[in-house]
Amino acid sequence: MSTIVQLIVSGILIGSIYALMSIGLTLIFGVLRIVNFAHGEFLMIAMYGAWAFSRLLGLNPYFAIVAIVPAMFLFGALVYRLIVSSALGKPHLVVVFATMALSIFLQNVALMLMTADLRDVPPIIARSLTVGPIFVRGELLIGFAVTLLCTIGLRWLIKRTFLGKAIRATVQDGEAAMLMGIAVPRIFLITFAAGSALVGLAACIMVPLFSVFPTVGLNFVLIAFVIVVLGGMGSIEGALLGGVCVGVVQSVSAYYVAPAYGQLFFFLLFLLVMIFRPNGLLGQKGAAMLGMNE
Amino acid sequence: MTALLEVQGIGRTFGATRAVDNVSVAVQPGEVLGLIGPNGAGKSTLFNLIAGVMPPTSGKIILDGVGVTGWKPHVMAKAGVARTFQIPKPYRQLSVIENVMINAFLRDGSIAGAREIANRTLIDLELAPYRDKPAGELTVGLLKRLEVARALAMQPKLVLFDEIMAGLTPTEVGEMTSIVAGLPARGVTVIWVEHVLYAIMKTATRMIVINRGKLIAEGAPAAVAADSAVIKAYLGEEMQLA
Amino acid sequence: MTTTAAKAGGLPDIPIIPRRGCISWFEIALLAGCVVWVGFGLAPALQDVVVLAFLFAGLALAWNIAGGCAGLISFGHAAFFGIGAYTSTILLINYNVTPWLGIFVGAAGAAIAGAVLSLICARLKGPFFILSTLAFAEVVRIVALNWSAVTGGAEGLSIAPVPNFANMVLSSKVNYEALMLAYLGLAYATMRWIEASRFGFYLFAIRDNEDAAAAAGINPLLVRSAAMALSAALTGVGGTLFAQYFLYLDPTYVISPELSFQLALLPAVGGLGTVVGPILGSFLITPLSELLRASLGNSAAGLHLVIYSAALIVVMLYFPAGIAGALDRLKSRRRQP
Repeated sequence: MSTIVQLIVSGILIGSIYALMSIGLTLIFGVLRIVNFAHGEFLMIAMYGAWAFSRLLGLNPYFAIVAIVPAMFLFGALVYRLIVSSALGKPHLVVVFATMALSIFLQNVALMLMTADLRDVPPIIARSLTVGPIFVRGELLIGFAVTLLCTIGLRWLIKRTFLGKAIRATVQDGEAAMLMGIAVPRIFLITFAAGSALVGLAACIMVPLFSVFPTVGLNFVLIAFVIVVLGGMGSIEGALLGGVCVGVVQSVSAYYVAPAYGQLFFFLLFLLVMIFRPNGLLGQKGAAMLGMNE
Repeated sequence: MTALLEVQGIGRTFGATRAVDNVSVAVQPGEVLGLIGPNGAGKSTLFNLIAGVMPPTSGKIILDGVGVTGWKPHVMAKAGVARTFQIPKPYRQLSVIENVMINAFLRDGSIAGAREIANRTLIDLELAPYRDKPAGELTVGLLKRLEVARALAMQPKLVLFDEIMAGLTPTEVGEMTSIVAGLPARGVTVIWVEHVLYAIMKTATRMIVINRGKLIAEGAPAAVAADSAVIKAYLGEEMQLA
Repeated sequence: MTTTAAKAGGLPDIPIIPRRGCISWFEIALLAGCVVWVGFGLAPALQDVVVLAFLFAGLALAWNIAGGCAGLISFGHAAFFGIGAYTSTILLINYNVTPWLGIFVGAAGAAIAGAVLSLICARLKGPFFILSTLAFAEVVRIVALNWSAVTGGAEGLSIAPVPNFANMVLSSKVNYEALMLAYLGLAYATMRWIEASRFGFYLFAIRDNEDAAAAAGINPLLVRSAAMALSAALTGVGGTLFAQYFLYLDPTYVISPELSFQLALLPAVGGLGTVVGPILGSFLITPLSELLRASLGNSAAGLHLVIYSAALIVVMLYFPAGIAGALDRLKSRRRQP
């Protein structure tokens, strides 16, 4: 009995961290209506950054947040300026291919600079915490806490600030927003950069838990896609819910079936959702119908 | 005379909103039935229900004696119901004649035959000069005419026109009106949603008025125009007709 | 309106530059050139590249049926490639069925998978559709990787490199060039047939405006499934041919996201929905990527891909209609007085 509880708890915690890395993706989709196929590589370079920061300064990677988050914000802005903004006016295919090509580009730059060696950060919290019969790694709990804080913070930002209102207006009707004086291209830029910054935050949380190597992004981006679609494109709360689902499914199936098949199950979960609830569990109605024909 | 289309107690709810509420109407063959109402009244929803875009949450639809409730758009099309789209939906990368051929295939599966039908339809609607132009290059007025051409190329029993006059010049309105008026003689029954009232008033043989999802008036155009409930629904004051 | 080759009497009105619906001198020259190349066994040093270029041209045309003509952008086509390859290979190795027959079984299997994928994605468009194709391919890959009893798992499957025409193991590279060229020919003929048929019209209608197509009496699900099944079957055929050429199958390449990306990239660079585009895309990119890999792959791991992907981004941003689109623009400029 306690095994299944342990698995579920671990699943929820790791799932929340998966959710943290997916929030940026869902935000970008919600506002710009594009999927950034290089999302995993953004995570990868941020993880390298966090690792390097931690190694160079001898501090634990949580401190790296101060440097990595702004750096990723700037990086996101740069990618937006150079690639995404010119791709927006063109057929959707262009953005898909351009971001996929970017993903290959970043993977191989990382390979050239850092080689394929795994990079790790020494454990930060020496002992696991125990709650009753359940073991919980401290880093996981911190990740969970950060994710919650982040979600609450974003909700506040979106609902209470002017920027948030501008973003919501842009999502609802870009043309009307422009007529109202909202600089929609700037909103796009800020959203893309912010999404990237969120990935940077996630990276700092994940570096103590996962090794870094050039193709690490591939593992996580597919997880992120599944989470974002499960939770509904554009829904931040949905990403949290989706993350928890994925975490639990992976945790339970890896234990009871086989580790290799762990991935299989959440792809199947994804496909099932696509058949029965294409808008995701919490998503905006019609999100699945966002087509390429318009 | 059995009705061509019967809509019985049809309703459609979105969450808490009743977009269409218990509407019943029978359309006789050869009619030009006008469907008017203020913005947001539920006309488009009613239209989409008949066309099969979404199933009604209550009520029945009967076409030529056959129950067609919940039939999908392509099945309705094969059953002889054509429709135009309020915002034109052309196949942008295909030429004008190819756009029409797609609909013509319903009547003649061969490429040559469909091209024949499409050609004739284009001539009828004075679109022949644009025959080989990519549809994506047409102006809005021409695209609306293309919508009508596509619907007619299907040689339907019943055609649903959705605001085909919006955005047209007065001359174009006149031309389109004569085309619509000529349809019953060709065996096509028309249900027509329209905002350009003077056009529909002249051509419709019968009118129904929808407000807030409910049917509030039905009858000859002149009678409906004078109906106080209708006037109130639109403006709350005297309604002037061109 | 078309730039025709004006010759004394009797020559049919064939345009020089490719356009939809009829053959052009460009294509005739291209295909004739390929036949000559193979027939004379030109450039023996480049035979590997040529084999792959022909194969990928056929695969690109296959992808194009779903992606370019019907608008079903799939990043999971490697699954169909793998199903074709593995089916015929398993039949050969375990049951001694000649690949000349196995190729049909593989194609049928791939077609069924294509129809299934289409059903799964019945209500999806845009990025959701693409992601579902990705997920689907990953499911197939993971199964292939782990079902070792049947697929050989991570170790893969090998075919004995003993030349034997009855088992589709050919004796020379030139023969493989011919085989792949035949495949390209088949794919080309299929595309031409599609363009000339009502089915092709339905595909374009679904691509350009599915709502309007439904209102015209076209069953979207049926057409999508047919397009995907046909595309998958043709891709599966390519898979079998690949297996018979490479003589080794392993899921990490054969059913990989990288391969799926390649299969989508070639038609996109060449020109979606056109007949010539995918061929040009493959003829341009396949040799280029092999060349990059050969010259730079050793010097710094990953450098060739850095250059490749950077070039891709540039091409995507500045030539979104692909090579065929650029040719088209050329044609319209020539048309102006």
